Order: sequence, then C-alpha cells, then structure tokens
Amino acid sequence: MKETPEDKNLVTNLAASKFSGDGFLGNDQRPVDEIIASDLRQLAEIGRTINEVVLLLADAYSRVRSGLGDDVELYQNIVGRFYESMGRIPSPFRGDGVFEKGEAVITDQIGGQSIIITKLGLNLIEKHHFFQGIGSRYRIEPLLVFQLLSKS
Amino acid sequence: MISSVIIATGFLTITGLVLALLLVLAEKRILNYGECKISINNGEKELNVAGGSSLLASLAENDIFIPSACGGRGSCAYCKLKVLEGGGAIGPVEEPYLSDEERKTNVRLSCQVKVRNDLKIEIPKELFSVKRFTGIVEHKKPLTYDITELRIKLTDPATIDFTAGQYIQLESKEYKGRESVMRAYSVASIPSDNQAIELNIRLVPDGICTTWVFDHLKEGQPVNFSGPYGEFRLSGTEAPIIFIAGGSGMAPIWSIIRDMKEKNINRKASYFFGAHSQKDLFYFDELKALEKELPWLTYIPALSGEPENSDWKGERGRITEIVPKLFPDCSQHEAYLCGSPGMIDASIEILTKAGMPKEKIYFDKFA
Repeated sequence: MKETPEDKNLVTNLAASKFSGDGFLGNDQRPVDEIIASDLRQLAEIGRTINEVVLLLADAYSRVRSGLGDDVELYQNIVGRFYESMGRIPSPFRGDGVFEKGEAVITDQIGGQSIIITKLGLNLIEKHHFFQGIGSRYRIEPLLVFQLLSKS
Repeated sequence: MISSVIIATGFLTITGLVLALLLVLAEKRILNYGECKISINNGEKELNVAGGSSLLASLAENDIFIPSACGGRGSCAYCKLKVLEGGGAIGPVEEPYLSDEERKTNVRLSCQVKVRNDLKIEIPKELFSVKRFTGIVEHKKPLTYDITELRIKLTDPATIDFTAGQYIQLESKEYKGRESVMRAYSVASIPSDNQAIELNIRLVPDGICTTWVFDHLKEGQPVNFSGPYGEFRLSGTEAPIIFIAGGSGMAPIWSIIRDMKEKNINRKASYFFGAHSQKDLFYFDELKALEKELPWLTYIPALSGEPENSDWKGERGRITEIVPKLFPDCSQHEAYLCGSPGMIDASIEILTKAGMPKEKIYFDKFA
C-alpha cells in the first residue's frame, strides 16, 4: 500500500521527539498497523475486547491517581503508585489533542510484572488500539492487563 | 541500457530541481504579503512585520515571547492568544486544541496563524515584559533524592523583574540524540534577588529536560530561558490564606512567603506541604525558622507514608485529610495551590466542600 503524507507524519510523530524522548515504538521494527493488528489478535484469541481493556486501565489509573503518590492496593498483591510530572504531552496522532503527564505504575508484588498507565497511553489504546511498540517504556501488553487488573 | 537509466534519472533530478526552484521563486514573488501591521491590545503596541511568517515567529522577532514548548509545530497548544481581526479561518492543525468557548472568543494557536495581512490581537499584558535570558549555572544543589535546586546567575540581561508565583521556560540543550526542548518551571527565588533565579526541579523518569538538568548540566555552564510568565500570584485582599503544595510545587509558594515577609504583608497564612515521608521534605528547617519569626505563618508538613515507628512528630496522612481536619470552615479564606493535577483536583474538592468559593482558589497545575 502507498504511504500517504498522513502516514509519514505519524511515523515521524511516533519517533523520539521534543515531547517523547524515546518515542512510542521502542525497538519494535514493525509498522504501526502490524503492531495494532497483532495486539488485537491476541485479545481476540482470549475472547476479550478493547473496551474491556480500556475500562480496566481507566479504573486503575483513576484509583492510583487519587492516591496522590501513596501506594494504592488495587487487588491482593497488585499495588499502584502515581508519579507526578509537569506539563502536557501531545498525541502522536494528529487531532487527538494534549494530555496531562503523570503515570500510574502498577506492580504485581509477587510476579514482579508491571504496567505504566498514562492518560495519553489510555487514549492511544481507546482511540487507535495502539498499545505502543515492544521496548517502549509505556507499552502495555494486552494480556498482562487481564493478568493484573481482572479478577475474573 | 545503463546509459538510458542514467539519462532518465538525471533528467528527473534536474526537472525536480527546476520545479523546486520555481516554487521558491513563486513564493517570493507571488506570495509576497509585503509589510503587515500587528496591532496589540487595542493599539497599545503596534508592530510592522514582513508578512509570510507565523504570528508566533513574527512576535518573537519583535521580542514578544508567547509561551511555546514545541517550537511552533502546532502540537503543544501553549501559544494561544486572541486574534480579533485578520487571522483567517481556523486550520485543521489548530482545531482539536480549541474548545467551543475559545473559538467563540477568537482564541487561536499563534504558531498556526500566518501573517498575511494586518492583524488585531490581544495578549496578556505581562507578556510585554517577557524576555529571553542567558545565565550561568551558579549552583546545582540536591534538595531531596529527586529534587534539585538550580540557581542561574543572569548575564544578559543582568536582571529580571518578576512577581512571586510566576514561571520561566528553561531551554535544554541537545544531548544523546535528544532534541533541545523548553519546559516550564516556577521561580523559587524572590523578586528582590533579581540578578539570579532559583528553580526546584524534580527528576522525571525519562524526562527530556529534567534528565538534562540532572545528568548533563554542570555548574558554570551557560543556560537560556524566557520569562517571566503566568498569573499565579498573591491577590491584593486581606483574606487569610491556605497554601497547599506538594513536591516541586513548593517553588512558587516558597517565593511568595518570603516575598510577603520582605514586603511586610502580614496576612494570616497556613502552608500545608504534602509529602510521602521525611526524605521528601526540603526547606524544612528554613520554613520552621520562618514560622518562628513570622507570627502570621504556620507551616504544616504532612506525611502520608512515613513509617509508624519513626521520630516524626508532625501531621500524618494525606494533605486532603489534614486540611479539613484543621480548617473545617474555609469560607473566609483564599487558597493557593501548586502541584500535580491529581493533588490540585483533590484539594479543590475538599476546599469547596469546606465552603470556599471556587473563585477564591488560585492554582498552578503542573499541566
């Protein structure tokens, strides 16, 4: 398929920039469409939807943010802490607007796995189904969401 | 065969170059907007500029610096101002960043408005006094494990006029492939100390500017910033004050309190500083000394994660629990808040519940 100017802009915006020092792709060499398709396949395989992912992440983000930097126990052994940050970050997808910085770090205290939820990250998943590239600090593994944040 | 390919490639390259040259010439000759007049704040200031550049750039060329973090790419949405006449239609880049209210009141992103004709614009008056400064890092002193105090001695211009509570935009330098960026920091020093500024900067994991400050910026190195910006400042009333801050949100409050002392403003003030544990406290001894010296000031640090068996004798709990405990009725107070958006949102909620009108709550949200 021919690359449009909009696609080129997106590729530029997803790379390291004035706003995201490391970019959104990590060391993932795959095109964005392929990253998205692969993550959606993973979800489909376990019979889950993007909507379920977004609900779980948004709920966890909001609960951890209200902890004002203290540990918040989301579930047994699943603890979150919010880290403040100044300023706003624009979405790499044109038209999405700018998002409050600050991150909710959620950790499984037994297994050691963790995910970092940001307002921008949530928007990328909800609107574009983009969980970010492998190696990105802010990538959220779709299956890990259910492992950490879903009791069912 | 090879020669045909070379000829074809050469022909295409030359055609491309000629077309590019024609476009440049056409832009210069056909799209020559001539000299345009920018009338600011109902004629308070008038600029004659060469048309064709963005409004943001045209203003900066005339030493009027509108806050911007993206350098005019239309992605940070910091450079908003009102374009009353001559701005043309709102472009697709601006559209997502403007609320309905902003559209109604002619707010635009100045980096996306091209100066093609005369313009009438409106900007906050204090932006007239914003300048670009150069200074030298006089000291870089750790205040906690993740907050550092940066003191910048001014070299050009040699002094700065600002109001306690305002902020500047620090320009980081390029390092390890990371671009130069501009980030906003509140001034922690006091206005009378006008040959330098002090900043409290907290290290953000992977933060472009804060990593530069912590890992690359050395004492003695030159730095640039612009400012002062912002409307966060003490009001002129006599109402008792509740200050609430957390982390590097200390900076503007630290400046305001010491400025009050210098100017003999004796309004009753209670300063709540929220932190996790004792290792997150800074300026503690200085604030306790000020509290002893100034009868109008009470300093109340509150720790939410301090170990129970520690030697801490102050308040324990989140700031949002401590404020209503000590001030169940805030209806006569004014509040000044600086910190993370989460802390600000939670503080506004508890203050309004305690009877404080929303218009009496002034805040400097990190967002």
